[in-house]
Parts: sequence; structure tokens; C-alpha cells
Amino acid sequence: MKLSEKWLRKWVNPPETIEKIADQLTMAGLEVEAIEPVGDDTCVELSVTPNRGDCLSIAGVAREVGVLNRMPVHTPLIEAQPVKIKDTFPVNITDRQACPHYVGRIIKQINPVAVTPEWMLQCLAQSGIKCVSPVVDVTNYVLLELGQPMHAFDLSKLHEQLVVRKAKKGETLTLLNEQIVALEEDTLLIADKKGPLAIAGVMGGIDSAVTNTTTDIFLESAYFNPLDIVGKMRRYGIQTDSAYRFERGVDPELQVMAIERATALLLDIVGGEAGPLVECTDITFLPTRPAIYLRRERIKAVLGLQFADSEVEDILVRLGMRLQGCAEGWFVTVPSRRFDVALEVDVIEELARIHGYHHIPSHSPLVPLTLKPHTEHQMGLPRVRATLVDRGYREAITYSFIDANLQKLLFPEFSALTLLNPISSEMSDMRLSLWPGLITALKYNQNRQQQRIRLFETGLCFKQVGLDIVQEMRLGGIVAGTAYPEQWGVKQASIDFFDAKNDVEALLQLLNKKYRSSFVAAEHPALHPGQSAQIQCDDKILGWLGKLHPAIAQALELEGNIYLFEFDLAALLPVEAAKYAGLSKFPFIRRDLAIVVKQQVTADMLKQRINNVAGELLKQVYLFDVYAGKGIPDGHKSMAVGLIFQHYDRTLVEQEITVLIDNIIKHLSEEFGAELRN
Amino acid sequence: MQNLTELVKLAEVAVNDAVDINQLDAVRTHYLGKKGQLTEFLKHLKHLTPEERPQAGKAVNEAKQLLLDLLTTREAVLQSQVLKRRLASEAVDVTLPGRGQHQGGLHPVTRCRERIEAIFTSAGFEIEEGPEIETDYFNFEALNIPPHHPARATHDTFYFPDGHLLRTHTSPVQIRVMQNKKPPLRMITPGRVYRCDSSPRHSPMFHQVEGLVVDKGITFADLKGTIHHFMQHFFEADLKMRFRASYFPFTEPSAEGDVQCVLCLGKGCRLCSHTGWIEVIGCGMVHPNVLKQVGVDNEEYTGFAFGAGIDRLTMLRYGIDDLRIMFDNDLRFLEQF
Repeated sequence: MKLSEKWLRKWVNPPETIEKIADQLTMAGLEVEAIEPVGDDTCVELSVTPNRGDCLSIAGVAREVGVLNRMPVHTPLIEAQPVKIKDTFPVNITDRQACPHYVGRIIKQINPVAVTPEWMLQCLAQSGIKCVSPVVDVTNYVLLELGQPMHAFDLSKLHEQLVVRKAKKGETLTLLNEQIVALEEDTLLIADKKGPLAIAGVMGGIDSAVTNTTTDIFLESAYFNPLDIVGKMRRYGIQTDSAYRFERGVDPELQVMAIERATALLLDIVGGEAGPLVECTDITFLPTRPAIYLRRERIKAVLGLQFADSEVEDILVRLGMRLQGCAEGWFVTVPSRRFDVALEVDVIEELARIHGYHHIPSHSPLVPLTLKPHTEHQMGLPRVRATLVDRGYREAITYSFIDANLQKLLFPEFSALTLLNPISSEMSDMRLSLWPGLITALKYNQNRQQQRIRLFETGLCFKQVGLDIVQEMRLGGIVAGTAYPEQWGVKQASIDFFDAKNDVEALLQLLNKKYRSSFVAAEHPALHPGQSAQIQCDDKILGWLGKLHPAIAQALELEGNIYLFEFDLAALLPVEAAKYAGLSKFPFIRRDLAIVVKQQVTADMLKQRINNVAGELLKQVYLFDVYAGKGIPDGHKSMAVGLIFQHYDRTLVEQEITVLIDNIIKHLSEEFGAELRN
Repeated sequence: MQNLTELVKLAEVAVNDAVDINQLDAVRTHYLGKKGQLTEFLKHLKHLTPEERPQAGKAVNEAKQLLLDLLTTREAVLQSQVLKRRLASEAVDVTLPGRGQHQGGLHPVTRCRERIEAIFTSAGFEIEEGPEIETDYFNFEALNIPPHHPARATHDTFYFPDGHLLRTHTSPVQIRVMQNKKPPLRMITPGRVYRCDSSPRHSPMFHQVEGLVVDKGITFADLKGTIHHFMQHFFEADLKMRFRASYFPFTEPSAEGDVQCVLCLGKGCRLCSHTGWIEVIGCGMVHPNVLKQVGVDNEEYTGFAFGAGIDRLTMLRYGIDDLRIMFDNDLRFLEQF
């Protein structure tokens, strides 16, 4: 809200610079955002919080300045205006809960081509309000001055009586801004016998508006229940100073004073003769002001500062509150304009902000010293992140909402949760996985000369499962480029499946899961069918690892070999505690075997068979070479394994090992048709 | 005897001429081996008379010892030469880069978030997290923001067709925790939040850290102290703070906390719009309506709550001038941290 310094100082004029006044207001809760010199005046721009509807006027701001500077406020003299004619227009309030106080009057024989005086135009201009016509300008002026929105109707356009009611189904209205709106049934209207005239408290209709041929007007000054006005601006897509104030609560005791003030200004500027006031009040629906019980010990309990009784009374009286002392404190009656002060704690806030928050001391709370648990059964995410950081990954943070097309490309079988009002069409779907964001980040970097990219991210992914929305914490990674950064002494090679797998295995090892996990070849629509694995551990699916499907990479114009992995953190992070299994004092025996098998026989198949057959003495199996080519039959490969045997209680004897090895070879031959390499 | 002396002289020359251990061993064998020259002398001793034997024997043994000493000395010299050559050949250019993988790094927002978490856990705060797709109840109503409340305008919300929304702050997590845990409570709730704001200095997704302390005897003074310390530790500087009256539906009294401008230390500059202060945090005493909703007796317990933008604090901490750059994930940006 903008206002003129000169205008403000007509109401209250402390011996301080406008900067100092602005600072006082800011510290007390009315933030001054800008002070700009305009001609010989200064424009002060305030940001008024939603709870201080009473400050949306010169009168309101002046009151605050007066309280903060201990100065009286000069309100302009507002008297009941002479009633020269007897004309009234009937007003019927059907919805009294929405409109418990309505004041109106007729003014006849105004001069439609009168001119708004310069001083008024200046005040309006400083506050960013355009000059329209004298009648409208006066209503705008009083809105700014006192905080009471008013509306003027062309009396000749009103039929029989004014009704304040809710809209009926199918009714429409053409507003002042020429917008035609379909009225909804919860909207409060000012209407007459013929139909809607205005959306009450928001905007008038064009047909009943005052024009430069209007000679008789009906002036409205009302209180509307905030609950009936709130949300209407948004609903109809309009913003008005009037609705803005009604939403936040206009003083229900202001209407008569405001209409007299407007009448006085109008009689002066456009002439004419005023009729008597028509006033409709329903006390039962006016906002009630029960006295608030303020306990002196509660002030200290909330603020941590003791106030002397005299300090409390001084501040509250300056704010216009009425006090009645009692044993424990006071009963406080709050002025009707203060919708924000309804509870004891609201009064305490008034004390604190007027006295100044800087007077409240700074403490550290006193609490019992209790030690906190530190579990070894769940790995913290920071440690997991650190492992990837140590392996050359940079952490990315990507948007949770992504391009629906990209997501469809990667996960064609899944439907994602879609936003009703996304910020853009490329950010309309909630991510099912971290891969879309990581791929987007990869592309961004490839477009900027980056050839080697290693990124990871942690965050929630979202999907619909039946009627439930499932939100899962995941860890995802993407790698592209060479396995190692460009350097002397290391042959440059593009990253491959096993480089990526090494990083994944490091995570599994960190979580004590490496030796209980298996990588199971499985298909995934986003991944290369021949380089795609589901990671399983103890019958749970931990995640996926694989190469981005080349067709997708091509469609997205991405370069090189790109590998992706993703983990479900709820499955990954639990850790089985370590347990010591003892140490043998006796030496181990190692035997190496080179086994030739068909290409389809996997490392796991071989290892598992060897483990099954070899028994307890076999402690480790190392796969240390895979070879195909010269000397190996077509469609076959040689896998070299190192077998470590050890007995806990004694040194093993060669013959024992030989028996075991022979048995292993026999079983491998039976199962896989395996042969030892020559 | 003269032969012995000459032999020793020859042996001496041979030892000194040996250029490597192999040659030296050959010399050793030639003179002291089974069929060595000096060994032959020892064999001849039996041809001497008993009177001549002792003296001759002594001379031979002396010669033998002399040779052994020479050999030992020469061996040491040769070995030292071998070591020297080896050391020289193994020398490297220590200024060449090391081999292998390079270190990565955390996102600056995560770095700040982890630091903030550490500051608060050091005082016994729990870290609580919750869903990002929320209900209207947990995001607004339980926080004393009824439907159509004007305050909702500052929380431009993303909605789903079924009425769910993306949380606009992390306060919903505090409500969820309070439904299950009774006071005393102290927690922070960091995480992603979403607001439908397309203005240039804003992002539709950002990070907040909110905090809540509910206990007996908690006052506004405790709030001021806790937040001031937090800011001082976060910025690692003895920055002044000021608290100005403000409004949030879920706190009363409410305040905005400003920290002394980190760049100009209060003198006035572009960063702080020449005010000397930077707004960093919103806070206040928890509103009675909020406590009532979760069944906490406000007469017995009071609490304070606060909320700050982690991205904003990150930008102030590291001097980053553009919010959106943080979610581009440009490696040239990430590598600066």
C-alpha cells in the first residue's frame, strides 16, 4: 500500500524524519518497503500483513505512528451532514449474517461534470489510484483515508429496492471492467428487483455505475462478513482495493462516519442535496468483542520479560483498548477495528511489539540433559553420500516435477501423478524415479562441453498405488565418459558396466550387503536389454543398474555410453550388525582352476555350483580372469577362479584338497559340460 | 711366507678391482673357497715341522682375516653403490598428477543442510522428515490457516486433481510428529518445499528448515537466544540480529529475524539494499490453536517455531547470486564446492 508522507503528516506529525518513522513502523510490524521522493512529497510503500486490515488506510497508519511516538492523531472533523431532502431508497438485507450493517443515502442533483480538486487527485495518485470521476474519486479517497470501501450507484438505474442477497443459479453480471461473470450461489450480491447490480464488497456492475450524465446517486457504506468476501477476488479473477479490505475485516463501526465524510466531500465537490441515512443493523451477526482476560503472569510466561502494570496499561490504552483491572491482571476490550486481537496471546503480542522486541532478552532454554541413541542398525544417508563423493560423484539436486514426455519414454508402463497447475508444461509430472532429472542434468552438461559426468541424487519419488500415493526415498546415479579422468599413465577407456558396478558394489559393501546381494539379469524399458540388472538382497529388491537404452540415448541426443543406477533407500539402509567369526591359526591353501564353459554360463552360476559342491573348507572363490578367443572353442569362454581352502583347527593336507578339487570338476562337468583349460 | 704376502697383495688388488657383487664373490671363492689360493696354504701347513707350524699357521690366519675384512669392506662399498644407482633410477617427477579417480562433492545446499542439522543435533534436536505430497489439513488447516485465508495467497500452491497438494513449507511434518509424540519436543524439519511462483528471484522448488521447541517454560526470550546462536554458528561470525514484529497464522507473537549483512557487516550495500540487514528467518511462539489441534495443553506447555530458507542461507554463505543456478546442476557450478 502506498501513501503520501504529506497526507500522513496531516494526521500525525512527529518530530522525526520519514526514514525514522519508517523504521519504527517496520520494527512494530508494518514493514516499509520503499521510500521514494515524488515531487515535493514522499511516497511511502508499506507491506501490510493479512492480520492488520485496520492499517489499510491513512487513519490506521497514523494511529500506529501516534502510538509509537506517543502523539495524538488529528482526525478531520466529520459531522452529520445537513439533510435537505426526504428521499430514501428501500434496502432489504436478506442475508444478515453476510451483511449485518448497511448504511446508504441518496444524494440528488449533483453536477455530473464537476472536476475532482487537485489536492484530492494528488493524494490518490500518490497511492497509485487513477482518477475516474468526482463521485468515484471521493469513494476512493475515503477508502484510502478511513479504510471504508464504498460504492455509488446511479439512482435512476435502481429498481424498487436494493436487496443484499446471495446469487441465484444462472445469474450473470457485467462488471465495471466490462467483464461478464457467471455468478456462483455463494456470492453475496447487491441487487434490485430486476437482478444483480454488484458483487458486494468487490466490484459494481457497469449498468448501474455513475457516469457523466448521472444526476442522482445512491451511496453505500457497509460492513460485509470477511468469510463471505474471502476468495471472491480469486474466484472471479479480479483484484480490488475494496475486496482486499473486506477480506481482512473493515471496522463494523466505521460505516456512518465514512458515509458522512463522503457526503461532506461530495456536497463540496459535486454539490447536490443529501437525503437521510438508511441504516440496517443486525446486532446478532455483528462481530462480537468479548473482553479478553489478560493475566500478568502469562505475559512473562510467553515473552520471558516482566512488564510493570503501569507499562501494560500505558501501551494498551495508547492502542485504544479499554481496561478493567482485576486480581490476576485485566479484562481488555479491544476496538472494533482490531480483528487480529481476539486471544490473550494477541494482546501479549501488542505489548511486545509496541514496547519493542529488542527489549526482550536472549536466553538459551534450560532442558534436562539426556543422551541420544546412535544406531548401528541403520546407515545414515550422509555416510552413503560420502561414499559416492569419494568415488568421484558430484551431488545433483533436480526438480521433483519433470517433463511427462521424458518420463513416458523411460517408464512407458507407469502413469505418474500429474499437477493441475504446473509452473510449465515441461514440469507437469511428479517423478517416478530419479533418472529423468539426472538424465536432464547430464544433457545440460553435455551441451556445455562436459565429457565426463558422474552425478548422484537422493530424494523422494512418487507413484500412485491403487488409492494411495506412495512417496519413496531413493538414491540414483548416472555416469558417462571415461572410467577415469584424463591423465598421464592411464589408458583412456570409456566407462563400462563393470566400472559402474564397482561403485554400486562399494555401496553394498558399506551396508554389509555385498556378499548377500546378487545382480540378476532382468529387463527394464529404460535400459539396454543386455546390460541390465536388478539388485537383490535377502529376497528384497534393492534397485537397478544398467546401461541407458541406446534408442533412448539417441532420441534424447545424448552422447557416449551412459550408465544408471537407483536404490530404494528403505531397503538399502538397514545394516546387519557385524559379528566376529574367529580367526584360524592355520595356513590356507590356494588352488587355481581355468574352466572352459559355454558363453551362457554366468559367473554366479559357476560360483554357486562350486560353493555348493565344495563344502565348508572352501572359504573364498575369486574370479580373476575371463578369456575368450585364441585357444578357446567358439561360443565358449574360460573363467579362471582362485579357490581358498582352510580348516579352522588344523593344517590341511594336499590329498584332502585334491579330492575336493576333483569333485568340483566332476560336478561342473556334469552340470555345465565344463572342461579344464589346456 | 713371501708367497703369502704376494698372494695377499694380489688378492687385495683383485678385491678392489671387483666392480660388482658377483665379481667379488668370484674373488672370494678364488682365494678363500674350497680350492682357494689361501686355503691351499692352509693345506700345506701339514708339510711343515711342528716347530714351524704355529708361526706359519698364525701368518696364514692373519692373512685370511685381512682378506675377509677387505672383502667385507669392499662388499659394503659395492652394495652402497648398488643402492645409490637404484635410488637414482627410481626417482620420479613428484609434480606429475596422482593416478586414479578424483574426489567429487556434495551439493552446496546439502552441505549447508548437513551443517544446520549438526548445529541443532548438538543441542539434542531430532531431525524429522515427512511426505512432500500433502493434504490440505496438514499443510494449512492444522496450522491455523482455514480455507480462503488471505495468508494462503503467499503460499501459491501446486495442486493435484484429487485435492492433494505439494507442501508449501515443512510445518506439516511438525504436526505429524506432534500427533504421535508428546512434549517436551525439540526438532527441526528440513526438506523440499514447493510454491507456484514464477518470478525471477524465486524457484518453484526450494528447501526449508523449520524448527519447533515445545516444553514447559519456553518463552520468546528462548526463541531469540536460540535463533541468534544458530545464525552465529551458521555464518561463523559474531553477527548482530534484530527481530521485528510480523505475522504468521501459526505463531503469536510472530517475528521476522534479520541478520547483519554478511557482505558489508551493516554498513549498507547492494546485497542488503543499503539497509545493513538481511532477512533470514521467520519465527514466533506457537499459536494456541495449533497446539490445541494436536492436543497439547497450552497452559502447561509453550513453544516456539521458526523457518528459514536453506537455499537462501546457502547463497548468503557462499556468495551465490542466482537461485536457479542451484538446480541446473552445471558441473562448473558444483565443482566450486
